Amino acid sequence: MTSTPSECPRCAHETIEQLFTSPVPGVWDVLQCGRCLYTWRTTEPARRSRRDAYPDNFKLTEADIDNAIEVPSVPPLASRG
Amino acid sequence: MAYDDLRSFLNALDEEGQLLHITDEVLPEPDLAAAANATGRIGENAPALYFDNVKGFTDARIAMNVHGSWANHALALGLPRHTPVKEQVEEFARRWDAFPVAPERREDAPWRENCQEGADVDLFSVLPLFRLNDGDGGFYLDKAAVVSRDPQDPENFGKQNVGTYRIQVIGANRLAFQPVPMHDVAQHLRKAEEVGEDLPIAITLGNDPVMAIVAGMPMAYDQSEYEMAGALRGAPAPIATAPLTGFDVPWGSEVVIEGVIESRKRQIEGPFGEFTGHYSGGRRMPVIRVDRVSYRTNPVFESLYLGMPWTECDYLVGPNTCVPLLKQLRAEFPEVQAVNAMYTHGLMVIISTAKRYGGFAKAVGMRAMTTPHGLGYVSQVILVDEDVDPFNLPQVMWAMSAKVNPKEDVVIIPNLSVLELAPASEPAGITSKMIIDATTPVAPDVRGNFSTPAKDLPETAEWAARLQRLIAARR
Ligand SMILES: [Zn+2]
Repeated sequence: MTSTPSECPRCAHETIEQLFTSPVPGVWDVLQCGRCLYTWRTTEPARRSRRDAYPDNFKLTEADIDNAIEVPSVPPLASRG
Repeated sequence: MAYDDLRSFLNALDEEGQLLHITDEVLPEPDLAAAANATGRIGENAPALYFDNVKGFTDARIAMNVHGSWANHALALGLPRHTPVKEQVEEFARRWDAFPVAPERREDAPWRENCQEGADVDLFSVLPLFRLNDGDGGFYLDKAAVVSRDPQDPENFGKQNVGTYRIQVIGANRLAFQPVPMHDVAQHLRKAEEVGEDLPIAITLGNDPVMAIVAGMPMAYDQSEYEMAGALRGAPAPIATAPLTGFDVPWGSEVVIEGVIESRKRQIEGPFGEFTGHYSGGRRMPVIRVDRVSYRTNPVFESLYLGMPWTECDYLVGPNTCVPLLKQLRAEFPEVQAVNAMYTHGLMVIISTAKRYGGFAKAVGMRAMTTPHGLGYVSQVILVDEDVDPFNLPQVMWAMSAKVNPKEDVVIIPNLSVLELAPASEPAGITSKMIIDATTPVAPDVRGNFSTPAKDLPETAEWAARLQRLIAARR
């Protein structure tokens, strides 16, 4: 496969992991961002696979990820006994 | 005719001309989703799609749009493919009355043929996963029947829940999972997390067509989906015991994924283009660790495209939303004739009802909002007379245009509950709700000039049949 991109299309994080590679060798890889978990196939259109073409609407920042609310929220631990 | 698995239903669709096998090589993205999206843009009675030549894969079989037309929905229920929508809903309601029908336990589940366990689990090697919409955070399982049990009452068959939830694949053995707060699995998870325990879960993919319908159906907490599937199929639902969790799962599934929702953990999920026609996501959701995958030899991966309606999702959850509301309303108000709750899973509902006395229709509208499903949906209710077909939108528009005096007939109630995904809610989960009473006022409500309605002539029904005969004979 062609060289792994250096940044996440969605959040620009630079740790990218390979989750899977095409059963037909060398056709595509499935990659994942180590921070925002964005997952994409290397053969997807540029609007999904390249930082410079990724839509602003869907971009995430570190603050977006840190401040994301929990759904559902973790309930308080019930006291036992 | 009851189908015991997805494969036999795909064969039936094929025989009825309702399955299109696409033999040309396609790209996993954007072709698979775009083709399924397009089924909703080519008119009535679109077929299911079957792909087995997908670039980069050697062994992929993908079925989409399986329920994605009225013809396919009718065939799923074992009805003739041309059965009109209103008749499909009526037949669905009639079969409902047979509930509960005990399931039939079978031993030889075909998904016992293959399995991966523990560190060997790799979902990508079993499922040809792919993205649906541009802004989706990843690849999703969106047509699974997910089984969970009440951790405080694990032997209670009725409280074992089967539901459909969105599930993002975030690793070879990891999933992010969205339990909608109003749904049963959210209650199960809460009970487990309150005592710091993981919640076992079984995720079944590629099911018989009635299983997919009941998994998406709003039912009471202690009603069993398998017993409802039996009623709708007209035959006991075949179930089998999942090897790791011991849960009851469909006998005919293509793939059975078992694991746990890890207690008190949340991870970033989404977004995902939802049935509302809008994305939701960027929130921290519960996480599943997969410990075992069982699968049929040559599994078929079933997926569902959803986005701007109409899509397969609207066919899948249309009738199954109408019928529970109809049953719950009729239990108290036998005057209710029919319920059309097919718009965005019942965010908007059209109800036809006879009137007991003046003001009655508005009470029916308020009751619809306070049914279990109504609490999370039913933001707009249109009430029409008993002789207006709520599935016939031109008739409904006529009733709205001719019968409504907005000042008295439109009622808006502020600050009510709705699911958080509702795009117009503000804040998320809170909305105003509206009743539009397009019924004819009856005493003591004496408003308007409705004393001389022009009804169909008594002879019209006979002439309609005669015209149809003459037209048919001419061909
Ligand atoms: Zn990222």
